[in-house]
Amino acid sequence: MRFSGSSYVATALFSGLLLTASGCIEKVPSEMVQSIQSLDRQLVESQGAEYAPEAYARFAKQWVDLQGRLQAEEDEIVWPWENNPLLTALQQVRADGEAAVAESQAQREAKRLETESRLVLLDGRLRVFNSRVDEIGSRVVLGPKPVETALLLHQARSFYEQGLYSRSVHVAQQAARMMEVQAALLTTTLGHYADERRILAWRQMAQRTVEWSRTHHTAAIVVSKADRRLTVYRNGRQVLSYPVRLGYNGILEKRYQGDGATPEGQYHIIRKRDRGQTQFHRALVLNYPNPEDRRRFQQARRTGRIPADAFIGGQIEIHGGDDVLMSQTLGCVMLDNWQMDAIFKEVESGTPVTIVGALRLANSVALALAGLDQAEEGEEG
Amino acid sequence: MKRLLTVTIVPLLMLTVGCAKAPTDKVTAAEEAVNGARTAGAPKYAPEEFAKLESALTSARNEVAEQDGKFGFFRDYEKADHLLTAAQTEAARVSAETAKKKEDVKTAAVQAQQAAQTAVQTAQGLVEKAPVGKDRAALEAIKADVEGLATSLPDIQKAMDAEDYQAAQAKAKAVQDKGQAVSAELETALAKVHTAKLTKKK
Repeated sequence: MRFSGSSYVATALFSGLLLTASGCIEKVPSEMVQSIQSLDRQLVESQGAEYAPEAYARFAKQWVDLQGRLQAEEDEIVWPWENNPLLTALQQVRADGEAAVAESQAQREAKRLETESRLVLLDGRLRVFNSRVDEIGSRVVLGPKPVETALLLHQARSFYEQGLYSRSVHVAQQAARMMEVQAALLTTTLGHYADERRILAWRQMAQRTVEWSRTHHTAAIVVSKADRRLTVYRNGRQVLSYPVRLGYNGILEKRYQGDGATPEGQYHIIRKRDRGQTQFHRALVLNYPNPEDRRRFQQARRTGRIPADAFIGGQIEIHGGDDVLMSQTLGCVMLDNWQMDAIFKEVESGTPVTIVGALRLANSVALALAGLDQAEEGEEG
Repeated sequence: MKRLLTVTIVPLLMLTVGCAKAPTDKVTAAEEAVNGARTAGAPKYAPEEFAKLESALTSARNEVAEQDGKFGFFRDYEKADHLLTAAQTEAARVSAETAKKKEDVKTAAVQAQQAAQTAVQTAQGLVEKAPVGKDRAALEAIKADVEGLATSLPDIQKAMDAEDYQAAQAKAKAVQDKGQAVSAELETALAKVHTAKLTKKK
C-alpha cells in the first residue's frame, strides 16, 4: 500500500488518524529483521558454509533477496488485516535460518567430537609407540622422524583449538602416516630380531660358546643385546649374570666407527685392563674387528651401504663406568663397577665372548616390533 | 496525415525510448568485484560472507535474465541495477574485511615464525654445549630432534609463501614449543653436569 500523489497531505492526515485508531503495523517488523541478522551471525560463528552448506546456501540466497526488498519496503505500513507477503517471506527465512543454525551447530559439534577422539587416540598410540621404541633403545635409528611426527600432532591440536577441525583431521592423518613410516623403518632395520632362522643361528653361536667352556673347563661370556644381559659360564655352567648397557645405538649391528652400535659375533678377550689402565674402572678388550667384521665392512663399503670415508673402528670393550654421568657407550658393553670386578676375576685373556642379538624368539625387540603394529592398528592413513 | 504520424512515430518512440538497456557494464563490474573478493581469499577467510556475496550476484543475474526474457517495451532493469550495485558494494566490503583478516593472520604467523627460529637457534646452541658423556642415546635423540626442528623451518616459509598463514602459524607454534622443551631438557642436563663437577671437586 503506497502513499503518493497530490492528495499526499490529506492521505497522510487520514492515515495518521487511522493508524492511531486502528493500530496499523510496520510492514517490516524490526525485531524480525534483528532475529534473522542474529541467525546470520550464528551461522558465521558455527561455520555454516562448511557444516551445513546446502541449508546455509538456501538461507543466504533467500536472505540476500529479501534484503533488497526490505530496503525498498521498510517504510511501508500495512493494516493488520492486510496480506503481508514480505512478512511471510521473512518468517520463512527465519525458519530456514534456525534450521541451518541447528544443523550447522550439530554437524560442527559432531566434527569436534570426532576430531577430539581421533587426536586422543593418536596421542595414546604415539605414546605407546614411543615407549616401545625407547624400551628397545631404537630411538636413534629413527633420526628426526619422531620429532616430525610430534610436530604434526602438535599442529593438529593447534588447528583443533582454533576450531579448524577438517584441517586438524588432515594433519592428524599425516602424523599417523608418519608413525607408519617409522614402524616400517624399524621393521626393516630390526626385523631380524623376529626372524626365526636368525634367532636359531644366534642361539647356536651361544651354545657353541657354552659348550667350549664346558669342554675346556674354563670361562666364557655370552652377551644378549635384546635382553641387555651378560652371562659368564664356567665349565659350561652359568656363574654370573648381570644387566648391561650397550652403545647408544647398541641394538643395531655395528657397521662402522662412530655409529654407536654394538657388534655381534664371536670374539675373545685380548687384554685385561686393570684399575689405572682405563678410564672405565676395569676393562676387557675384545678382538673387534675380527676377520668376519672386516669382510662385512669391506662389502658394505663396496656396495655403498656405509659412507665411503668410514672407518671400521676398534677398542670394543666390556668395561665398568667410573664416569658417573655416563650411562651409555659408543658401542662397548658397560656394567656397574662391582659387577665388573666380579667378571674381571672370572676371566682371562683368551676367554671367548659371544655377542648375539637375541636368544629367544619372544625377545624384547621382536615383542616391541609386534607392539608397534598394534599401536598403529585402526588408525586411518 | 496526423493519424499516419501517430501510427508510425509513436511505436518507433516506444521502441527506441521505452526499450530499457541491459546493465551489461554493471554485471561485469559486479562479477569483477566478486572475483576480486575470491582472489583476496574470501572463500577461506570469510566463507559465509562470500557465500552470501555469490547469492547476491546470482540474484542480480537472475533478475537481469528475467528482464531480458521480456518483450522490449516491458523490460525494467531498475531492480537488477539496484541488486548489481548492492553486490558490487558488498564485494568491496568483503574484500576489505578479508584483507584485514588475512593481514592479522599473517602478522601472527610472522611473529610465530620468528619465535620458532629463535627457539631452534637456542636449542642448537645448547646442543653444542651438551655434556658428551651424559646419556648418549638421549643426547643423540635430542640432536636428531633439533635437526628435525631446523629442517621444519623451511616448511613454515613454504606455507607463508603459499599464503597459508593458518598452517604457517600452527607449524611455527609447534616448532617453537618443541624447541623450548628440548632447550629446557638440555639446560637441566647441563645443570646436573655442573652439580656433579662441583661434587667431584669436593
